[in-house]
Amino acid sequence: MFLTDSDIQAIWLTIRLAMVVTFVLLIVGTPIAWWLAHSKSRLKGPFGAVIALPLVLPPSVLGFYLLLAMGPNGPVGHLTRALGIGALPFTFWGLVLASVFYSLPFMVQPLQNAFEAIGDRPLEVATTLGASRLDAFFTVALPLARPGFLTASIMTFAHTVGEFGVVLMIGGNVPGVTRVASVQIYDHVEALEYAQAHRMAAIMLIFSFLVLLALNVLRPDAFKMARRD
Amino acid sequence: MELRMAVSKSYGPFRLDADFSVQGERIGIFGESGSGKSTLIGMLAGLVEPDDGTICLEGETLFSRGEGVAIPTERRRIAMVFQQPSLFPHLSVRNNLLYGYNRCASQHRRVEFDPLVQVLKLEGLLDRGVNNLSGGEQQRVAIGRAVMASPRLLVMDEPLSALDDDLKFQIIPYLTRVCGQFGIPFIFISHSLLEMRLMTDTVLMFDKGRLVEQGSADELARRRMGLGQVGYINLLRLGRPVGSNGLHTFAWGGGKLLLSAAPKSEAGLYELSSRDIILFKQHPEAISARNLLKGLVVATFESGSKTGVELACGSDRLIAEVVHEAAAELDIRPGGELYAAIKASAFRPLG
Repeated sequence: MFLTDSDIQAIWLTIRLAMVVTFVLLIVGTPIAWWLAHSKSRLKGPFGAVIALPLVLPPSVLGFYLLLAMGPNGPVGHLTRALGIGALPFTFWGLVLASVFYSLPFMVQPLQNAFEAIGDRPLEVATTLGASRLDAFFTVALPLARPGFLTASIMTFAHTVGEFGVVLMIGGNVPGVTRVASVQIYDHVEALEYAQAHRMAAIMLIFSFLVLLALNVLRPDAFKMARRD
Repeated sequence: MELRMAVSKSYGPFRLDADFSVQGERIGIFGESGSGKSTLIGMLAGLVEPDDGTICLEGETLFSRGEGVAIPTERRRIAMVFQQPSLFPHLSVRNNLLYGYNRCASQHRRVEFDPLVQVLKLEGLLDRGVNNLSGGEQQRVAIGRAVMASPRLLVMDEPLSALDDDLKFQIIPYLTRVCGQFGIPFIFISHSLLEMRLMTDTVLMFDKGRLVEQGSADELARRRMGLGQVGYINLLRLGRPVGSNGLHTFAWGGGKLLLSAAPKSEAGLYELSSRDIILFKQHPEAISARNLLKGLVVATFESGSKTGVELACGSDRLIAEVVHEAAAELDIRPGGELYAAIKASAFRPLG
């Protein structure tokens, strides 16, 4: 057989994780990107740097701190236990939470760029025509930033699919729960199952290529739209 | 419309200090770029927060630092037209026009879709996207979109500056017609005195963040006649030319005018600078200028080193300028008669 059951299980898990993380980050990342694009606060610089940290931080460092925070004695751990959810490490939702932090800049930065490219004027026009800020956001900013949302979603999805270090730190290697595709490849190599590793690696390679191809094809067009006004 | 503003705002070394009250339906704000015009109307619309002061429109306080009042932009009902049309690129012409209309409470609605579309001649464009409209069409849609919101005040911030001269003078009739027909008072911002005279009744002139003059656009133009390079621009509304032998003959001032400028097919505006008129005390026997008009001096005024002479030619008026010395020598005073010579090539069609 081309792929084993556990390979397919790992791929499905990876896709599920990437979809949930992209969805969560669309909701969480949009207001953050909006604030970064429009705020004149002094906190904007430091806050932007914190958001960008996962770009430069070794995933193991991020994973380590998240593990401590989610652990039974960490602040997140206390909270989840008080809510009756239990400890998050080595669970799917623990992985989602960690991935949200890890992929945050991949959602926020393209959105921030898109919002900045739109500028204040279309929103000012909308408010002088009687639209509240929220109304103007949904009826003007959101449609104009659509190319940015597309880029951000693709980047976030792809980045989540490709993560490894954070997963190992937080999720370990629980089949069907936290064993994602990249970990599965690692296991195959450890077990000297090179043929299996090759197949999984080739799928990841083709997937990554297609994502970049899609971005290259969609983005020039996308950015033209954002600047059209 | 009655507006009272007493506001201040600082940006680094620039400080805007405005304190005025103005009444009328066609108000102009005139000044060079950097004089604070846009900041001022930004504060009026609620897009810029004043450092201090009060803004009252029709007796309603829109902003007052002292009383802690700051009505948000969307509740001020002050629509704006900017230099760039800033249309919503994701919406059709129709949906751009309806954006403000749909957000206007029904008791405030004064403008309906079909008549407006007719006045602005947008019938054929309604279902098109806005990106493939010409500059003039885009600005007409922007004007329509603002008017459709039935604002109690329309603020136009240099709405014609991005258009070339021809288009500019094509848009002006639309602007005056649409505001007049639907009874919408407006504030028109420009650094062009000519636009001020065509669009407004009362003008506030700003310089370096301060109000320096308030009066009619024509008074302002007279006072500035001797200060700039262009003199006073006489605006002549001429009908269809009659007959042509290289020159076009128009009826004007109880007589006729000969112009070499290419005439327009319909009645239109022509400009003539006060500098292009030569005055004679007596009839010059033979001159090359194709126009010689007899006029009665109705007023004189001084501006810089020049004396302005207002002549009545039939029921029309003309302003010429001469240096003070010439005015004294010719003994120009109200009640006297003068001959005005104008070359046929001195006239320029507007738009």
